[in-house]
Amino acid sequence: MTEPAFEPRIIGFLCNWCSYAGADKAGAAQVPYPPHVHFVRVMCTGRIDPHFVLQAFAQGADGVVILACHPGDCHYKEGNLRALQRHRLLLRLLGQLGIGEERCRFDYVSAAEGDKLAAVVGDLVKMIRAAGPLPVRPEQEIGRD
Amino acid sequence: MRIGVYFCRCGGIISEKIREEAVRAGLAAVAADLHVAAFDFLCSEEGKGFLAQDLREHGVERVVIGACSPREHESTFRRVLTGAGLNPFLLQMANVREQIAWVTDGEGEATAKAVRYLRAAVRRVSLHQPLLKKEIAVCPEVLVIGGGPAGLKAALTIAQAGRKAIVVEKSPIIGGLPVRYEELFPTLECGPCMLEPVLDEVLHGEAAANIELLTLAEVTGLKGFYGNFTATIRRRPRYVDGTACIGCLQCAEACPASAANPFNYGLSERKAISVPFDGALPNVPFIEPGLCLHLSGEECRACREACPLEGTIRLDEGEELLELQAGAVVVATGAGLYDSRAIPGLGHGILPGVHTAAEFERLLAANGPTGGELAIGAGEGPGTVAIVHCVGSLDPAHREYCSGICCQVAFKFNQLIRKKVPGTRIVHLFREIVVAGKEDSFLYHQARQDEDTVFCRYPEIGALGIRLEDGRMVIEIRHQGGTETIAADLVVLCPAVVPAEGSGELASLLETPLDRWGFFEEMHGRVDPVQSKVKGIYLAGSCQGPMDIRQAMGQGLAAAGAILSRLVPGRRLELPPITAVVAADRCSGCGVCQGLCPFKAMTFDPERRVAAVSEVLCQGCGTCVAACPAGAITGNHFTDAAITAEIEALLS
Ligand code: FES
Repeated sequence: MTEPAFEPRIIGFLCNWCSYAGADKAGAAQVPYPPHVHFVRVMCTGRIDPHFVLQAFAQGADGVVILACHPGDCHYKEGNLRALQRHRLLLRLLGQLGIGEERCRFDYVSAAEGDKLAAVVGDLVKMIRAAGPLPVRPEQEIGRD
Repeated sequence: MRIGVYFCRCGGIISEKIREEAVRAGLAAVAADLHVAAFDFLCSEEGKGFLAQDLREHGVERVVIGACSPREHESTFRRVLTGAGLNPFLLQMANVREQIAWVTDGEGEATAKAVRYLRAAVRRVSLHQPLLKKEIAVCPEVLVIGGGPAGLKAALTIAQAGRKAIVVEKSPIIGGLPVRYEELFPTLECGPCMLEPVLDEVLHGEAAANIELLTLAEVTGLKGFYGNFTATIRRRPRYVDGTACIGCLQCAEACPASAANPFNYGLSERKAISVPFDGALPNVPFIEPGLCLHLSGEECRACREACPLEGTIRLDEGEELLELQAGAVVVATGAGLYDSRAIPGLGHGILPGVHTAAEFERLLAANGPTGGELAIGAGEGPGTVAIVHCVGSLDPAHREYCSGICCQVAFKFNQLIRKKVPGTRIVHLFREIVVAGKEDSFLYHQARQDEDTVFCRYPEIGALGIRLEDGRMVIEIRHQGGTETIAADLVVLCPAVVPAEGSGELASLLETPLDRWGFFEEMHGRVDPVQSKVKGIYLAGSCQGPMDIRQAMGQGLAAAGAILSRLVPGRRLELPPITAVVAADRCSGCGVCQGLCPFKAMTFDPERRVAAVSEVLCQGCGTCVAACPAGAITGNHFTDAAITAEIEALLS
């Protein structure tokens, strides 16, 4: 008997205006990507509380991706900038928890970039497939006040 | 709580990939009281009818729809919920078409993912709160800052709709820069003839009663928000009663004091009491307090004595501070020209024969300092005029953009010089020539075909040097291969269009951002080109960037249209409920949210020492929610609880 191949589970946080629309575009163009990629819609990436990311890892995600409007295109002026800043800080915390930075990506996807969306998540899945499942899961309560 | 899950087959598009029966089975244990149904096209009239009826029949309290993207049909289904007596926010869509059926290889995988998406939606929707749209009363009046073409067009359009517009103009006259120009591109139409009817309409037309014109006035403060602004306005005295004055100008004749006239760029003198130039509107003189002998403490009353209407000249008038209400604001403060003295080699302000385009317009105008007489050359044969394009434009050391109107102005000058002083040699010195648009190449072609007009490209503005030699201007053009010289009697500089003086102060007072060049920034330059970044503050004309009269008028009209369609008397302002909400008892008053909010929607209540959200200004991005260290801010509809439940269910 062989072990079933490891298939990483991914949570993506996408802003409503650009990246989620980009995912819709990937759909309309029928650009396939791995099945264990799940998207959570927020109005803006500025809404993404770092604790959502920790929560995702705690609940079983092997990778997280945050997709924002390109710089200057955020529907709310600068939420993407805030998300980027928070992502940088979060990477440091994740490192301390033993979660490598390759598992938490930040990228920009516009409403037109369906191909890019599929490429970004496809690449993430490929890397994590190679890296294997998350070795240690953070405590559920981390990130909560 | 009964949750209804509706699976849209999308006419087979979804159900070919996602097996309906397996979905039903997968949902079985998710919630205690679940009602599952499927339909072919839920978004069709038939589908919506089915949904509304089924919701009622089965007493459904929360709704999950597994179908296409919420970006496509969320509002459609929210309306169905409303029609069925449910709060529209008790809905969650699972995007099983775009994010599953169309992108997943294999039926088994697609079906399993759809089950995860639908379970997450069920978990999430059970945590939704009913949300209500709030409504507030609005003030329908509109404050227009700036009385140039854009501002007046906006005010007039608003007034013609029977609405009140208040125009605040800082100079004593209206019409902006173009009233100083005698002829306008692209058709050499007479400027005053084109603009005066508009100005007359503002002053005396049918809708004039709806326009309150405040000249010599400036906005000094703006409080409040869309629908309910309060503006403070400082109005300097004119010292002349505009309602009584007949414009005979006997006062100006009698006035003994005079100085350089800034409306003619100092090329002529004006009296302490005067009009800027003949034909300026309103045709009521004003006193420049710095020049007036009486106001400087001397005994003079010459103007009052000369005035045929007693009581019209009011030397004791003082400054006024006004407070006005408005529901919306239009910024139409215009633009200025790049200061060509910043390019010292050009000699502007030093050499007598070097003028800017604005000065040259006055030299061409019949109501200008020379009465429209143009003197070129010393009289022996025809003279030469050099017109320098791109002064400060297309140059990272100055302004990197092309203003798009200067070439037109330059070719207009070509025609006017030709008309006034036939035989004049005209040299166009340029970096690039830009004349786009259906009417706009006419003047350019005329210049190109003209025998006495030559074109000369210069490499960059720093390569030009102008000096005075034997009473003529000598222009040196330093090309890579050598230096070329051109002698001219008159040099006209066409500088880049830049933000008007005082734009920075006005922007900080209105809390409306400027772009990197200092122009007022639009919400979206193409999709929302008259809305500023602040709700309720609109933009029109060259305060947004270089613009000609046609574009400025268009922007004024558009701003008025946007306001008339959004700010309607009697109609209350609907506030979308997806906003942030502060729990005052958890807020520590740290102020983090205030610094982050891009819409200035977070304020600080100094009495209770807590943050407060303006529901009018909040756009619901959630940036403050994620940042609050005390977890005191809730993002309506995107609560921590709802999002974490969704994550958990997607991974279970
Ligand atoms: S709206 Fe897309 S990142 Fe802000």
